[in-house]
Amino acid sequence: MNNANCERLVDYLNAMLSEEEEKEFEAHLAGCEDCREIVEVTGELPYLAEAVEPPVEMKARILANVFEEEEKPAAAPSPKSLPMAAPKKAPKRNWLTPLLAAILLLSLLGNLYALMQNSGQQEVAEEAVLRSVALQPSEEFGGNATAAIVNEEETLNVVVQAGELEELTGTEVYQVWLLKDGQPIPTGAFTPNGSGEGAAVYKLNGSIEDWDTIAITKEPQGGNETPAGEIVLSSEI
Amino acid sequence: MEKSTDALLYSQVRSGNKEALESLYDRYEKILFSFLYKMTGERDLAEEALQEVFIKVWRGKGEYDESKGKFTSWLFRMAQNAAVDLIRKQKKPLVPMDEVAEMESGEPAVETLAEWQDKKEQVASAVSALSEEQQTIINLFYFKGHTHEAIADLCGIPLGTVKSRIRLALKKLKKTLQAMQERGAFDE
Repeated sequence: MNNANCERLVDYLNAMLSEEEEKEFEAHLAGCEDCREIVEVTGELPYLAEAVEPPVEMKARILANVFEEEEKPAAAPSPKSLPMAAPKKAPKRNWLTPLLAAILLLSLLGNLYALMQNSGQQEVAEEAVLRSVALQPSEEFGGNATAAIVNEEETLNVVVQAGELEELTGTEVYQVWLLKDGQPIPTGAFTPNGSGEGAAVYKLNGSIEDWDTIAITKEPQGGNETPAGEIVLSSEI
Repeated sequence: MEKSTDALLYSQVRSGNKEALESLYDRYEKILFSFLYKMTGERDLAEEALQEVFIKVWRGKGEYDESKGKFTSWLFRMAQNAAVDLIRKQKKPLVPMDEVAEMESGEPAVETLAEWQDKKEQVASAVSALSEEQQTIINLFYFKGHTHEAIADLCGIPLGTVKSRIRLALKKLKKTLQAMQERGAFDE
């Protein structure tokens, strides 16, 4: 024991310190071998436990809760307007709102497309969100994004809605990619509006199962066939 | 438990890779659940604490880096803290002295992983080199999550000396383990 900080070791081990105090103590740990050794040795104690078989369903329960817990705060940006079109008034706002706005946009585009085709078959399509994920920002990137795979008239669309994005410079774009086993294909690009928001819609060939990951990179220019920029947001599908 | 890949998996978790989190989960589910069960004595509480740990890992709360020592030490401390929090919330009556479980245990369960078993023998052997009082102190402090006051009460020692005795007990444990490893009696 060489200083007052060492006095805190026991409280540190026993969860008695505030978050602030804990940080201070960890800074102390980096320079105090004596304390560090004792912290290390407590890391051996759990091996004394008798092996107990965990409940079969526990893993599914815990992982579902972990990922759900994580998505709630990440998905709460205040929804503002899409760069292209968006309902001006959003009533009750919740995390689904930006997604719904994007789906509405998709729907409008779809209707427009149908009109241009003069198909006349304007049956109200059963749109269904087959899957929606919150993309995780990579280190040092502050933005957020959600992606939804939407089934519209037997066509799959990927709808990406992003917010709090960093500004781009020059010809840079945010490029969306779908990946299977690490192999990417470009699936739409966008540049954010003045509020750092942007969206992209892409018509998917094939089924959801053809893809395992969605990612957004910051590309030096649009139209790249393979990613040249860094991944800023990503998630498994 | 391939330690070298823990840090790698953790960094993937930090960039939002769910598979990496699942791999960490698979790797440590059993030891953590067993440890948390030992601490809480209830499967439900052990599960609750385990969930708390992985929520923290996923959210990057109290972020791990190598300056904090071994990944397992860091992970286990989070687990221990989560269990202690739950135990304190439960406000369980203190365990009377004569019911304090022995830290050393008898026959291992059938499916104990080999490496875990090696570690366990090694740690148990080092623990047995401590005085009875030191063993009790570590048990009450670490596994039961008792406060200093409770430990002073249960062990009949002055409150003012509890912290230094805990420290001394852990330090001796460390020295004993180290000596055992240096003698080459066990593989690290």
